[in-house]
Amino acid sequence: MPSGNDLFNHPFSHIYVEKAASDHPLTQAILARFSKSVIIPVGHYKDVFNRPRQNFGIQKQSQALILAKNRGASIFPGAPVCQDFGYDHFYYASSIRNCIFDCDYCFLKGMYGSGNIVVFVNLEDTFSELEKLLAEHPVYLCISYDTDLIALESLTGFTSRWIEFTRTHKDLTIEIRTKSFRKDIYDKTEPCDRVIFAYTISPRSIIERYESKTATLSERIAAASYAMAKGFPVRLCFDPIIYCKDWKDAYSSMIQEVSENIDMHQLKDVSIGSFRIPSDYIHKLRRDFPSSPVCQFPYENINGVFQYPEKIRAGMEDYLGSLLQNLISKDRIYKIDTNQVP
Amino acid sequence: MLFILCALTAEAKPLISALSLRKDNTSCPYDTYFAEDNSVVLAISGMGTVAAASATTYLLTRFGTKKEQDHLINFGSCAGKDPGMYLINKITDDISGREYYPDMLYDLSSAGLSFSSEKALTTVNHVVSSLEDPDQLYEMEASGIFQAGSHFLPPHRMLFLKYVSDSGVEDPKSITNAHLTACAEQQLSTVLLILGKLKNISEEIPSIDEDLFLSASYALHLSETLRHELYQLFVYARSENIDIEKILDGLKKEGRIPAPSKREGKEVLHAIRERLI
Repeated sequence: MPSGNDLFNHPFSHIYVEKAASDHPLTQAILARFSKSVIIPVGHYKDVFNRPRQNFGIQKQSQALILAKNRGASIFPGAPVCQDFGYDHFYYASSIRNCIFDCDYCFLKGMYGSGNIVVFVNLEDTFSELEKLLAEHPVYLCISYDTDLIALESLTGFTSRWIEFTRTHKDLTIEIRTKSFRKDIYDKTEPCDRVIFAYTISPRSIIERYESKTATLSERIAAASYAMAKGFPVRLCFDPIIYCKDWKDAYSSMIQEVSENIDMHQLKDVSIGSFRIPSDYIHKLRRDFPSSPVCQFPYENINGVFQYPEKIRAGMEDYLGSLLQNLISKDRIYKIDTNQVP
Repeated sequence: MLFILCALTAEAKPLISALSLRKDNTSCPYDTYFAEDNSVVLAISGMGTVAAASATTYLLTRFGTKKEQDHLINFGSCAGKDPGMYLINKITDDISGREYYPDMLYDLSSAGLSFSSEKALTTVNHVVSSLEDPDQLYEMEASGIFQAGSHFLPPHRMLFLKYVSDSGVEDPKSITNAHLTACAEQQLSTVLLILGKLKNISEEIPSIDEDLFLSASYALHLSETLRHELYQLFVYARSENIDIEKILDGLKKEGRIPAPSKREGKEVLHAIRERLI
């Protein structure tokens, strides 16, 4: 991968603006903020985002921003590889595609051909779509799967808008997953017991090696702790667990650091799950990131989902589960059942 | 390798001279020029999108061997409001209405091309007599080059550098070769700086020891599927900087390589995996 500070343009140096989205107030606000960026009008965001032979890794060095209008569905049923936390109607929303963070193992690198970020500015249409769904049944919705919404909050304000929307829709529960250090969101809004902030927690060595540009472990713990102090429900996701030679030491140190700095009894719940990824995605990750051990690990293909061999997977999940059982009641520990993944 | 496409010899002349390119005198469908060290090859496509697409395919099919190092550069004249050279960030094909977007990843400001030097361009099928949109540039090849180039290269390794030679003319013959060459000459130092920068960019893909892999897979009598598994173990070992040869040597000393049968070969493959992870 070519590198060097002077080689690449800075992130968002180029902003592609779909004609249909150009007059939207959010588009205007974002463009006003990036007044020095080059603005390139586009007919349809897919003309840029879906070009053939894009290099995801290189594009991450100088991410462009694409502002577009979502014309189709933006709420989808949750994937079987994802934890549903016991909710019957599990969905995820896609209002932003791609992330400013750069995790080696991220499924988005396998899912999308482009490393650029698409912001669908018409969030109000997603809300309308969701209201139709809510008329049928309660909804548990993960809104930060295809991106890290909190990391992009100052750009879009989406997190705040989702919180306010959820507050006024009693049958909706949302989860906002993040690896961000930001705490300011908790000062700006009142807590709601149906808005769950979910922090992905990884050992220091894994963060340094595989979770580029994300918050450190201490920063994530501090942000999670702050959210709880402000009254927000907080979930810790020990998911994905990433294998490394010294995984036992790495994960026990991490649990120790977490338990020393977070009141575990105050947590809403925790989840445990070792790394798993659909076969189509891992093939692309392996092709695009030939030097990444987490991409190149010899996973086992179980029914189209690549995962660690049973011995490693069960060893890591059971070990972490046993550590957590000493800190939090068993009924608040959720494990992904990989045997049930189709 | 840097592949440079120019529509006309008059546009390419200053580059051919500055880079000391030598003409390929073998039978080529397009006039083709080489650098002595084969780091640059330049072809003259002729005017129009069909000629440009065809020449692009010719260049990249004949010479494009190391895709991770190849860059395609279209250098040529265009019609525009203000004189100067521009980096193209959007190409609209006037006939089809399709739009094409080269990636704008590299900071070329040190070579003299800042963000203000970026423009959108429309590819038309005739020399324009006036500028329909004064903010646009007009020329006759770029959309063909982008479309053909997209079959070979990612969008961040295609660069379109256009210099303004006129602001539209009634009589195409009024744009002389001497004028095109003189305008190209004025942009030469910038183009050379950009080419120098691109030459140093390489996305080398680390490789495994193919000989070692082949000898191991033969010695283990692996089926096609298991060969893929062994290959993945080699790639993983390389990514983790693990010396897989050492593991194989250990198994040789234990008398397990070569394996006497397919069944034992599969067991050894399992052992390699165990020792790796």
